Amino acid sequence: MVRKTITMLSQLAIIHVFYFAGVGLAHILSLPVPGSIVGLVLLLLSLFAGIVKLEWIEKAGGWLLAELLLFFVPSAVGILNYKEILNWQGLETVLLILISTFIVMAATGFTAEKLYRRKRKGGHTQ
Amino acid sequence: MTTALIILIGTIVTYVIYRASKVVYKKWPMPFFHPLLLCPLILIGIIQLSHLQPSDYALSSSLWTHMLGPATVAFAIPIYKHAPLLRKNIMIILTSIAAGTLVAIGSSLLLSLVMRFNGDLLISILPRSITTPIAIEVSKTIGGLPTLTTVFVIVTGVTGGIIGPYVIRLMALKSPVARGLALGMGAHGVGTNKAMEYGEQEGTFSTIGMIMAAAMTLIWGGLLIPSLLNITIL
Repeated sequence: MVRKTITMLSQLAIIHVFYFAGVGLAHILSLPVPGSIVGLVLLLLSLFAGIVKLEWIEKAGGWLLAELLLFFVPSAVGILNYKEILNWQGLETVLLILISTFIVMAATGFTAEKLYRRKRKGGHTQ
Repeated sequence: MTTALIILIGTIVTYVIYRASKVVYKKWPMPFFHPLLLCPLILIGIIQLSHLQPSDYALSSSLWTHMLGPATVAFAIPIYKHAPLLRKNIMIILTSIAAGTLVAIGSSLLLSLVMRFNGDLLISILPRSITTPIAIEVSKTIGGLPTLTTVFVIVTGVTGGIIGPYVIRLMALKSPVARGLALGMGAHGVGTNKAMEYGEQEGTFSTIGMIMAAAMTLIWGGLLIPSLLNITIL
């Protein structure tokens, strides 16, 4: 238990190093990209370069990705600050987002599925 | 109460209710019980009943909000693990996400016009299908309200996480690439979380879909959206 906690915390610390490095770099170079994305790129490059081993971060990384919804919870509660959209227009907005998200997922999935099947067919005939 | 104590309580209470919501959703997997709907609703109830300020809660739960940053960094892991798979499918990824981002912006714009939404609301809703930090950037670029965009991003995530499996069934999406890209494009991190439940490949395609969607929308935000807005609003 203690050992597991130490592993988790030290792995979290490594990921944080990349996060803060990304935030710092984005700030210094005033990049139009958020620091977390810069951190992602830095970590990816370090993994490919062999500077960081997958085992060093895999446990904590897996936890962060598995519990992602938890990190959205405070923002979702933040909707409380927008009581004014909890009216008819708010309902319309939710409807708009529902329809649009449906279309977006359907269009993206349809395109990918078609291309995937075509590619597989092409692969068989060659 | 000291700030440290407030954060300790907020962190624990949020975590416990989140865990409980996940258990409920696992037992009764109905849309209404989606953890990102149920958990915030319970918390909102608690905040209202105890006469707390929303800003107090925001402070007390800031540790979890902070974790969104490192979690974004951690998306490097599935990309690294499945790099060959992604390279093999790069054309499918780029084409599908180009289509997805254009449909996202186009359908939001058209529906906003149909529903007669005005300036701020209309502009702020356009970048809603991408991950929060980049959506905020795009919103600023095109003259929207970042806070409003954040709300729309969250609503998109919750909605997408719920309808995603239905879209996959309805459209008969069988390949991991199609399932993953649809979820990552349509509902950013929340969709990707769902994709990981389907499998590691779905999760990876979803991750890359989410990142590509953000990158492409950043480009559209600079080039396409301003001229689109000029045509439709003026």
